[in-house]
Amino acid sequence: MQTTPEPHLANGSNLITTFHLAQKAPLILKRQSSSVETVAPSSLRGIENYGVVEQLLFSCLQSGDDKSALLCTEQLAARFGMTDERIIGLRGMYEEAVAENPTRLEECLQTYDLALSENPVNLPVLKRRIALLRSLSRPVDAISSLINLLDAVPTDAEAWCELADLYHSQGMSSQAAFCLEEALLIVPNSWNIHAFLGEILYSGACASETTECSQLLEVSIHHFSRSIELCTDYLRGFYGLVSATSLLSRNRRLMDHSRDSSPAQASPLTDKLLDELTLFARSRLDEIVRSRSSDHQAWKDNQGELIAAKELLHRLDKSPL
Amino acid sequence: MALQGVEQTILRDPALFYWIVFPITVVMILTGILRHYATVLMNNPPKPASTLAESRERLGLIRGVNLRNNSSVLSKESFEMRKNYLVSAYQSGAFLKDPASRGQPPANPMTDPAGMEAMMGMMKGNMMMMIPQTLIMSWINAFFSGFVILKLPFPLTIRFKSMLQSGVMTRDLDVRWVSSLSWYFLNLFGLQSVFGFILGSDNAANHMASQMASMNPAAGINPFQPGQDPDKLYQSEAENLEVIEHFCILDGVEERVLAHYAGRKSY
Repeated sequence: MQTTPEPHLANGSNLITTFHLAQKAPLILKRQSSSVETVAPSSLRGIENYGVVEQLLFSCLQSGDDKSALLCTEQLAARFGMTDERIIGLRGMYEEAVAENPTRLEECLQTYDLALSENPVNLPVLKRRIALLRSLSRPVDAISSLINLLDAVPTDAEAWCELADLYHSQGMSSQAAFCLEEALLIVPNSWNIHAFLGEILYSGACASETTECSQLLEVSIHHFSRSIELCTDYLRGFYGLVSATSLLSRNRRLMDHSRDSSPAQASPLTDKLLDELTLFARSRLDEIVRSRSSDHQAWKDNQGELIAAKELLHRLDKSPL
Repeated sequence: MALQGVEQTILRDPALFYWIVFPITVVMILTGILRHYATVLMNNPPKPASTLAESRERLGLIRGVNLRNNSSVLSKESFEMRKNYLVSAYQSGAFLKDPASRGQPPANPMTDPAGMEAMMGMMKGNMMMMIPQTLIMSWINAFFSGFVILKLPFPLTIRFKSMLQSGVMTRDLDVRWVSSLSWYFLNLFGLQSVFGFILGSDNAANHMASQMASMNPAAGINPFQPGQDPDKLYQSEAENLEVIEHFCILDGVEERVLAHYAGRKSY
């Protein structure tokens, strides 16, 4: 969604950086308010600053600094007015964050419904409402509202990704894959969506029968490959490629054993190519992990991914193909 | 005709430069800037869709355009499925705001208030172009007509005569001499980069950009011009989708990746 960073798609943002950013909030807010008083508000710098304030609001909310968050919303409301669509959405997010119990959240939901009855295409509020439904653990409602939203706004890649995530959380991977394909039609060159689609197909493959599993894995490998073709050191893409190729080659070996004389594979992904790809992906992942581990300072925000990748390599080393 | 090989000389008062070339240039730049700010002031942003159905009608078309442009990310089956869905939806008018009025002639934009507003916007834009141009041109015609003010430092062919010497009815004059009216025209078309430098690249003084924008439907939020029938656009988009030749970018992507890395370094 627009206002919640997508956990699957956010690259390089984690709680530690968010916290560091939020600690600077009082400083920035003070400078902002003093500059509003002294400098004429028409300067170009002001426009950029309001973007900063919005980002700051998100960081403050994530790190629990509700006082600064309130200041942020007040500054934004003072500039753009309380009736602005985005301001309503941001205020709503603040209210949600400070709500202590589910009844308060229900009140937020009613506020959103009221705002929507005034203006049915208030996109920020529509999206907030769906996010709230999701956090109230009503995913079915969230999915149906999101489908309604996407029916009216089919060109919103964020919303398609969110719907894919919701479907995936409900275990409906084919629907999730469809949503991600729609998102790809809007932003065809985004490697993270390619990798995400590969992940969805991979997890779908893990849950299905052997023959179907191989087909899904092949498509998943296609998408992971496309993702690393677009971004040559995308750790997530390589991680997925390593997992998918090793699983597929294990499956094929099992099938060969069980059937003895396997029919000629009709797929374009020949065994030779698959082996080559497996080897390549593992060595490349190893390379990336090593270079990033040595340069600890620059990649300290992505330690989680690095540790996971090391874990995978370690596991694969222990169980040879 | 002018004698070949003989340099034409015209004795010009150097004050011509200060009293004609310089004022015309300054006035042109100032009007450009003024027009930019006047346009910004009078321009009201296009109204966003007021109902979900309206937004659906507008963006439904863009969805088809997206599918057409980026179809290569999909596999054959996914593409065929989406194509069939969109084509049948376009042809049956499923995306229309109110399907009941399909096939009827579009409402007269003069009576429709929303269309009227958009027409007014366009008219205002055009007026902002027309009025200053007319005024300045008549000003130059009244005060400076017939002056020869510049001599270009390079020779030109005879075809440039009509461009450089409008307002000077002398057949024998060398093409390198520039008349005041022509200097105005040169400024009119040649100052775009100056405005880009002063006002930023998306300035409203640049009338070429505004003309281009009205030709490209996918650029704005609302792909429909006032008075245009959405159904007609949907039908033509359905035809575009039907003739599209699909290829899948995921075919052979593994070989491409391997070849790419093999070329750079051995792994």
